[in-house]
Amino acid sequence: MRTPTRFKAGAVILSAVALTVTACGTGGGDTSGGATADAGSGTGEIKVWGHQGEEGEVAALQAAVAGFNSSQKGVKATLQLIPSADYTKTVSATSPDQLPDVLEYDGPLMASFAYDKKLAPVEGLVSAQTIGNQTDSVKTQNTYQLDKKLYGVSMYDSGLGVYGNKALLDAAGVTYPKGLGDAWTADQFQTALEKLAAKDPDQKVLDVKENYGGEWPTYGFLPIVNSAGALAIKDNKAEGNLNSAPVVKAVQQFAGWRKFVDPNSDDKAFTDGRVALSWVGHWQYNPYNKALGQKLVVLPLPDFGAGTKSGQGSWAWGIGGSSKNGKAAGLFLDYLLNDSNVTAMTTANAAPPGTKTVIATDPLYKPGGPLQLFADGLSKTCGANPPTTACVATPRPVTPAYPVFSQQFSQAFLNIYKGGDAQAELDKAAKAIDQDFTDNNNYTS
Amino acid sequence: MSTVKTINRDAESAEVGAGRPRRDTRSALVMIAPAIIGLVAFVIVPFIAAGYLSLFNVRANSSRPPVWFGLEQYHRILTDPTFYRGLLNNFIFAAVVVPVQTLLALGLALLLNQSLRFMSVFRTFFFMPVVFPMALVAVIWKLIFSRDDLGMLNAFLHAISFGHIPPIDWLGSTTTALLSIIILSIWQGVGFQMIIILAGLQGISKSLYEAAQIDTANRWQQFLNITVPGLRNTLIFVVMVTTIFAFRLFDQVYILTQGGPQNATTTVMYQAVTSAFTENNVGRGAAITVVFFVIVLTITVVQRRLLREDREVA
Repeated sequence: MRTPTRFKAGAVILSAVALTVTACGTGGGDTSGGATADAGSGTGEIKVWGHQGEEGEVAALQAAVAGFNSSQKGVKATLQLIPSADYTKTVSATSPDQLPDVLEYDGPLMASFAYDKKLAPVEGLVSAQTIGNQTDSVKTQNTYQLDKKLYGVSMYDSGLGVYGNKALLDAAGVTYPKGLGDAWTADQFQTALEKLAAKDPDQKVLDVKENYGGEWPTYGFLPIVNSAGALAIKDNKAEGNLNSAPVVKAVQQFAGWRKFVDPNSDDKAFTDGRVALSWVGHWQYNPYNKALGQKLVVLPLPDFGAGTKSGQGSWAWGIGGSSKNGKAAGLFLDYLLNDSNVTAMTTANAAPPGTKTVIATDPLYKPGGPLQLFADGLSKTCGANPPTTACVATPRPVTPAYPVFSQQFSQAFLNIYKGGDAQAELDKAAKAIDQDFTDNNNYTS
Repeated sequence: MSTVKTINRDAESAEVGAGRPRRDTRSALVMIAPAIIGLVAFVIVPFIAAGYLSLFNVRANSSRPPVWFGLEQYHRILTDPTFYRGLLNNFIFAAVVVPVQTLLALGLALLLNQSLRFMSVFRTFFFMPVVFPMALVAVIWKLIFSRDDLGMLNAFLHAISFGHIPPIDWLGSTTTALLSIIILSIWQGVGFQMIIILAGLQGISKSLYEAAQIDTANRWQQFLNITVPGLRNTLIFVVMVTTIFAFRLFDQVYILTQGGPQNATTTVMYQAVTSAFTENNVGRGAAITVVFFVIVLTITVVQRRLLREDREVA
């Protein structure tokens, strides 16, 4: 049965109190950045927290932990899986001294966790060889801009593109790009949509995963902002960046394509052949390939002026900010990041490997592989620099303000997509994001 | 069912209780202790805590101590057009749902108060949506409201109009989004009010109707002069509870529209929860709930006063 308003409010506040109490209990308050894990003896027991992903991912992770425990005698790792929907909230609500020695985190939240002393820098604990083997794109995503230190290592990365149904594209006489070099411009993409719509009874020819929620709008559509040549946040300011004229124009144009978008409530728009194009990440490759086979083509996102862009970053692994056994945690990460474990994981989830050795030989991502496009994009990461035509993969803003940014951006974006005024919505989002920076002293102390 | 009975009995005993002499004080205290402890732990303490937290910049996941903010959160909220839009949506929602849902519940209760065979089966059917969690109901209705012709509602309209009604973007258009939320909420909530009214109906003595029949009163006269006065207390209770439910509107919005499009379905509760738990801005979330508490309290007090006066006149 439902509870009246005040009980709900009570519950909200009560948990807020609990959070504050734990926050005060740890008595931080000193200056920026800053947690360091004790190296410890390099032996003993360590706790590991991971998110409970797809079945195959869980199996690969469990096998890696078992393999680590039997490969040596000094360290015993215990894995605790937490359902992915609750994972980030769990870490957010746990005080640093109660976090495990090793924990997984969703890429863009690294800065927020580092700022809150929930993660410790990994250099010196994880071997130089492991760090050296990380691809440039995951290294960027795991580097905290404030102290330029690396706070995690990644088994895999992510890629974003447009999947095409060759049969439908050809039938409508639409030519499509061969690779990153000749990506559609936004206008060409629009023409392609119009041509496809002319052949389609309901004119719905594009899927942008309207059925996804959560982090998707930020991940899936932030590249539009970057492709307009802007960083969403620059020098701790969204004002003048997120709401700059080219971004407004690009987002407005995207919103105009809504009439071509299948709402995809059954998540089968592309696999059933209802739409010719699907704007989504690498994780749909396996199901799409199974449904379309030879008819499947993988294309870059349209170019809104500063070159085609793609998303990057995914789950990564770090060392708890209050770990007393950092050295042992480092040994575990070294093992977890070895070729066979990364291969097992990326075979299970079809993600672009986060290590140089594995991505070079991965059947999907190696040169000539069907997803080489994503690997190419990731090898040209824009990093934290303003996006230009020379780079492709763009990380989501690496800042402790990310939770606010993501909420504000996705809300503004969806409002514009549903017919709202682009300038007004982006102004409002920029103002809210900047307010958060101001309130928190720009997250510098 | 047992809750319903208790609620009714509470309402009655509250009326009678006022004039009764004081006795059995100790056992009375023991009896009300669980309720008082619950109220203190879940209403009073959190409310004081919210008032306190709302004066600070508190971050949900921060290891840094909260920073004094004074009335800044309140200043921001009270100058934020989105907040007023949320409040307006809450009022529209309440203004539509309270009368419509109460009348619908009354109608259903009257229908289901007849002694036909299988009546308990029908009652169960109408009560079932109340038992389902709102999260589940909202997910199902998301499919019903889907904007393409795969959406069940659109497919239905398409079929009965022989293709003359084009697919409507129920949840994505500013004109229909709040209406869609209202429809689903009434569907989900009406069974609860129905059960309470049904209990009220069964509390009306049959002899009154028999007497009325002897006096040759027709069905409508019986309804106006026996059923409605007999249900007065029940209806007052239903209206008050529905009002409070209407103001706590959150789950449906969170799942179906996330407050969009263009804040057409945002609610105060939705803003409080996203501030505190998505943006980790606990101070703002707390301040919103304090403002909201004051507003809902005022409405409830006014409503009680109006309804009580009504009762005295009668």
